[in-house]
Amino acid sequence: MLRRLLIASGLLLASLLSCLLPAAAHGPTPQRADETIVIEAPADQVWKLVSAFGSIGDWHPLVKKVAVTGGDAAGGERTLTLAKGDVTEGLDEVDPGARRISYRLLKENVEAIPVSFYTATIEVKPTGAGSEVTWSARFYRADTTNEPPEELNDAAAIAAMTDFIKQGLAGLKAKAAGK
Amino acid sequence: MSVALRQRLARRAVLLAGVLLCGGFAPGWAYETDVVAVVSQQAGVVTLVDAVAASVLAAINVPRVPAAIAADPAGRRLYVTHPDLGLVSRIDVAGRRVEASFSVGKEPFGITVIEGGRTLLVSDWSDDALIRVNAATGRETGRVAVGKSPAGLVVDESAGRAYVADRESDQVSVVDIATLRRVATVATGRAPFALALSPDGRELYVANVQSNELSIIDTATDREAARIRIGLMPYGVAVTGDGARVAVTSQQSGKVAVLDRASRQVVAGMKVGEYPEGALITASGRLVVASWADDSLCIAELRASPPACDAQVMVPAGPRMMAPLAP
Repeated sequence: MLRRLLIASGLLLASLLSCLLPAAAHGPTPQRADETIVIEAPADQVWKLVSAFGSIGDWHPLVKKVAVTGGDAAGGERTLTLAKGDVTEGLDEVDPGARRISYRLLKENVEAIPVSFYTATIEVKPTGAGSEVTWSARFYRADTTNEPPEELNDAAAIAAMTDFIKQGLAGLKAKAAGK
Repeated sequence: MSVALRQRLARRAVLLAGVLLCGGFAPGWAYETDVVAVVSQQAGVVTLVDAVAASVLAAINVPRVPAAIAADPAGRRLYVTHPDLGLVSRIDVAGRRVEASFSVGKEPFGITVIEGGRTLLVSDWSDDALIRVNAATGRETGRVAVGKSPAGLVVDESAGRAYVADRESDQVSVVDIATLRRVATVATGRAPFALALSPDGRELYVANVQSNELSIIDTATDREAARIRIGLMPYGVAVTGDGARVAVTSQQSGKVAVLDRASRQVVAGMKVGEYPEGALITASGRLVVASWADDSLCIAELRASPPACDAQVMVPAGPRMMAPLAP
């Protein structure tokens, strides 16, 4: 009973918070995260994993569940369930020649990941027998007003995005090597 | 004729001949330098770049997180907004330094200089207003409510109008400068950000970041006349001096699209750096594009076919917006 009450009040607090925060507002100061990893697997094999937009849950350790609409072509959407909630992303562009996908955040959830908007690109390049994967994102802090609380400021956004990308690349590497 | 004057004229003749010989790009010889002021947001620096020589002339430190920039008509002062600080900085160009910073609104973002350099118009991102500021004192002299999160801002002083991109309202507000009243709103695509006007003032070009298009607004009717698919996240717009071409950056595609005004078709495209944002076309017709993630500028001759970056200039971290500086 007490537990249920706690959960309910937590939910209430979360929804109150989300009313107070600027919805879908993109502050004027973008931030960036950019990570690269070398994977000892052919670029085509890694590209197969990356380009399967709806299958990120197969290799990203922070993604608990994925719900997909529209498939792996531009216009497709995926809802990622992370530890603290869901975010929805939309696929903008798939370029098989360059082995690059571009996508963006459609529905934010600053509890799940403290950013108000992002675009991201993943590119797979062949290097020798393996491949080099670059994952970059451009984003805004969760609270775009001038005095954001610590958990919603630029530093929090950079830390969260960088961690999401780093863990994703490590997961991708592990998945590709396991084949 | 004095010897000194004769020498000066002779020097000028040689200079003129040299410029004419290497000419070819109209309007040509009058522009020995095209100076562009570039805001590097992460670094907190404004860089003055000679777009002809593709070289850096000066790097001026400014308060942190600078965003938009505008120059006075004489090229003596630059004004820079700092949304996170609620400040506008004034740069003394000759002295290469910030000579004053003043509080303007809550989150000053877009900026332009009017009335021969005496007055600034500033869009306030979080107060949803267009604010008029005395350029000498920094004092607010008036304001008008516009849509949500006003960003890009351009003026047509001969028509007495200012245009503001209300990013979160998916519209452009048209403001009468003299009375500081909003006279129209024009619906656009999603998240309009950057604006540019044709030299004759008849067409307003609006980059719709979220819906990947350029809106063309007919300023005689204040209606959207066309919406053209560009690329992912269009963030910068620039028009050639003759008004025939419009260049639009696609930040997430890493490209620039070149639109023909008459046919309203994209007639050329070029790959530029990573995350291209601000774009401008200098007096001599060079396209300058700031690549936010590459910390560089791409300088291209738009008339070339296909156009390409002829020169690259490295600048401090996070270049976004730019302003041309009068010679």
